[in-house]
Formats: sequence, C-alpha cells, structure tokens
Amino acid sequence: MQDRGGALGRLIRWRASSRLAPYLYVLPALAALALWNYYPLVFLVDLSFHRLDATSPTPTWVGLENYRELFTAPLFGRVLRNTAIYTGLTVPLSIGLGLALALALNRRFPGARLFRTLFYTPVVLPTVAAATVGLWIFNSNYGLANYLLGLIGRPPIGWLTDSDHALWTIVGIGVWKTFGYFMLVYLAALQALPQSVLEAARLDGARPWDRFWSITWPLLRPTTWFAAVIALILSFQAFDFVNIMTQGGPSNATNLLVFYIYQHGFQYFRLGFAAAIAVVMFGLVYAITALVSLWFNR
Amino acid sequence: MIRILGRAVIYAAVLALAALVAMPMYWLLVSAFKASDEIFTATPRWLPATLEWSNFARAWEGAAFGRYFFNSVVVALAILLLQLTTASLAAFALARRRFRGRGIILLAVIGALIIPIQVTFLANFVTLERFGWIDSYWALIAPFTASAFGTFLLRQAFLAVPEPLEDAARLDRCTGLAFLWHFLLPLSRPTVLAFTLVALVAHWNDYFWPLIVTNRDEIRTLPIGLAMFVTQEVTTDWNLLMAATLFVAAPMLIMFFFTQRYFIRSHMHAGLKR
Repeated sequence: MQDRGGALGRLIRWRASSRLAPYLYVLPALAALALWNYYPLVFLVDLSFHRLDATSPTPTWVGLENYRELFTAPLFGRVLRNTAIYTGLTVPLSIGLGLALALALNRRFPGARLFRTLFYTPVVLPTVAAATVGLWIFNSNYGLANYLLGLIGRPPIGWLTDSDHALWTIVGIGVWKTFGYFMLVYLAALQALPQSVLEAARLDGARPWDRFWSITWPLLRPTTWFAAVIALILSFQAFDFVNIMTQGGPSNATNLLVFYIYQHGFQYFRLGFAAAIAVVMFGLVYAITALVSLWFNR
Repeated sequence: MIRILGRAVIYAAVLALAALVAMPMYWLLVSAFKASDEIFTATPRWLPATLEWSNFARAWEGAAFGRYFFNSVVVALAILLLQLTTASLAAFALARRRFRGRGIILLAVIGALIIPIQVTFLANFVTLERFGWIDSYWALIAPFTASAFGTFLLRQAFLAVPEPLEDAARLDRCTGLAFLWHFLLPLSRPTVLAFTLVALVAHWNDYFWPLIVTNRDEIRTLPIGLAMFVTQEVTTDWNLLMAATLFVAAPMLIMFFFTQRYFIRSHMHAGLKR
C-alpha cells in the first residue's frame, strides 16, 4: 500500500516537475534578457522625459523638454549628417566588397584560403588595436599613409586632423574592419546555392555576368537582406574609432550619434538628454531597418 | 584569351586589396619589434634591424598591463560560462520540450538579438549604479548573463538531434539535464565551440561597455587599459605602444588562426538564419 503510494507520489512529482521543468530551464536566460535587454527599452524612453544630471541628481519630469532642446541644437543636425554619410558609405561598401570577394574566392582560386583568413583577420582584431595602429599610420606628420602619398607625388593630408578628411578616414577604417564578416556570410550562402541551376545556365551558354545578375544575385537576396540589416545596425553603433582616434573632432567632423550620446551621458553627465538622443537614434535605426526589410520582401 | 585576361585582372585586384588589408597589421607587428631610433626615419623601415624583444617588457611595465590582462581573462571567461549555462538550458527547453508560451519565449529571445548595447547602456548604467555595482566585476559581467545569439544558435543545433535518441536515452533513465549534458551538448560540439569563440572575441575585444562602467585602474580590462595608455601617454614611443597593442590583439588572433573553421561555422548559421 505504502509502496504504491510512494510510486504514485513519485509519478505525480515527475509529472509536475516535467511540466514545470521547461519554465525552469528558460528562466535564467529569460530573466536576464528581461532585466538587461527589455527593461532598458522602457527605462530609456521614461528617462528621456526626465532631467537627470548634476543639477538634478534625482529624475524630475520635464515632458518633451529634452526632445525640444535636441531638435533645436545646431550640432544635432551636423551629427545626423555625419552619421548618414558614415552609414550611407560603410553599408554598401562593406557589403559590396564582401560580396565581390566571396564571388572571387568561391571559385578555384590559388591561395583562396589564405586570402579568406587575411580578409577576416581585421574582424577579429580588437577595435582598440586597430585604432592605435590607425593613429600612427594616419598621423599627419610622420604617418605611413602620408609617406605613401609622397611616393606617388601627392602632398601630405591631415587624415584625422583636417575636417575635410577625417570622416572619410573613419569610414575607411570602418569598412576595413567589417567587410571580411560579410565576405564570410556570402561565402557560406554561395556554397549553399543549388549548383544544378548554375550548371544548367552554364550549359545554356549564359555569360558569367548574365549568370550573376539573373541567377546568383536573386538567389542571394535573403543573404543580402540579412547582411544589410546587420551592416545598418553595426554602422549606427560606430563609436570606438571615433572615441580613440578623433574624439568626434576636428570641430565635430566625426561626431557620430553614439559618440554624441556618450558625450552627453558620460562627459556632461546629462543622462536624460542622452536618453532622448538614444530614443531618436533607435527610432531611426528601426525605421530604416523596417524600410529595408520591406524593400527586400516586396 | 579574354577569360584569362579577366582572371588576371581579378587576381590583381584581390592581391591589391590583400596588401591594403595586411599592411596595417604588418606595420603593427614589425613596429613592435623596432628599436626607438627606427621609429622616425625619413623612409619607413619595413623590417626592423634587430628584434627588440625588450619593447614588450618595457611596455608591460608602462601601465598595469598584468592587472588588465588578468581582468580581461576573468571577465571573458565568466561571461562565457554564464552564457553557455543560461543558453544551453533555455535552448534545451525551446528545442526539445513542448510547453505553453514556447513560441512567445522564442520570439522574445530572437527579439533581443536586435537590441544593441547602445540602446541599453544608459539604463543599465543607472540600474548598476542603484545596485552599487559600478566599478566592480559585477558591472562588467552581469549585463551579459544571457546571450540571445547563443540561445538561438544552440537551439538550432539541439533541434537537429533526432527524437528517437532521446527516447532511447530515456529508457536508460537518462532524462532532462542528464540528457542535455551527456547527449545534446557533446553532439552539438561544433556549434558550442563556434559560439565559444565568437563570445570570447566579442567580450575580450569589447571597449564600449568597460569604458562606461569602470573608473578604477584595478578593474580595467585590456582594451580600456590600452586606450588609456595610448591617449594619455604623451610619448611618441610608437614601438612600445605597438608592443602593448599586441598584448590585446595577439591572444584572439592566435586563437582565430587555429580555430578558423569554427568561426566560419558560426557564420554559416548566421547566413542561414534569415
């Protein structure tokens, strides 16, 4: 009797635990995501309606004041323009370069593996390391870049110190650091393409160029969509190179959105105002991402 | 003839790009070995006259690099362990169990993939300040307890393990966590390794978050320590700065060169993720 009760109890416990178990398994991950990823979304929006800075150490409600100030700040327009240029250039350049290399290296290509490794290495390199080398190479007085310019008979450039050039330099480094990632994404996609279709087109005598545009490119569409979204989000996040190499200068020529947020949040300690910039930035990122997704899935 | 010419052009273009990509890294490597009088020469020296190994010792003593190194190792490993634990548990339930709300939970995990740290850092900074955790290991580690990417990656891997295997294991009383530990994780080893590498690189290299939450030198990680060394050092001892840069870069680069195929694997998933 007792034995059966014990067995029944065990059965009930087992049933109950097996029904509860999945929730216990997801709990740690879910709790952490809720606290560190989802709650901040709500908190950020709330913070953007408050003043929280040195003069007001506890948050006080100010309504839309932070946004009003942001949209009338002349610098904000400049920062938006810088970010638009940075994103508008790094996204197509890094994806385009990644695709071109993937296409080149996907065929029987002498040294393909070595090239693949080399092009991916900057992705693994810490941004701080790349920035440090960059500071030296692009130094206007004794950097390698100006020496190389001299070799082709050009006058030296203030790569990081001239406001006409600094943003281009930051764009160049950004592309240098990320295109290898997209190369690998495309290589993976190319290897998964149905070979029979490509083979059929080859037998039909389609030229490589036509084969690419009428078969490969459409088949790669989902990959390009994925790459575009990732590249967009990455480009809006650009911060490390700016903070280490230019501090947003000269005269805000390289002040990008995240650096602008950082400046207000952690140099001027105006967290409420910084939150308002962050909210606007993420409205922009998600709006653009949604548009890109719509365009790719039309 | 045109085909051969086309190939030659492509090859030349790839080579030129390779030179452009390799050049800064080559410059970093050789400069770290140069003597101080080889740094500013009218024509740059592409090879150092002698290998100046003492640069590394001098750079190491130039700042608390030992401490930074230790901190980086502790933080990266702690994050990795936490993420592997939370991700494999969650992935186990999401891939192998049916329960109410599973779809929504999976959606919440995938949704977190597109919330970058630049959205969350202001709020997380305030949260950590309330906890009194700023300037501690907790601040560097806790916000990365869970990884949406890792959870998703492992779920995909666990899905691929055939159902009959779990039934067979159950007959041998290997159920629940025992099945996860003895079957799912070992069978998903390539994915686990791929995620391990990606997570290690991401957190070893991370500059943004440690910059936000560390003020004390004793708690700084390598990237922050190096950036401070570079920007505060008024020195023009670029050979020492390059040597210090290698402290930060070398561990991940060496790891990458030896484990490339797992890195590539992590992108196979990314490419198929859609």
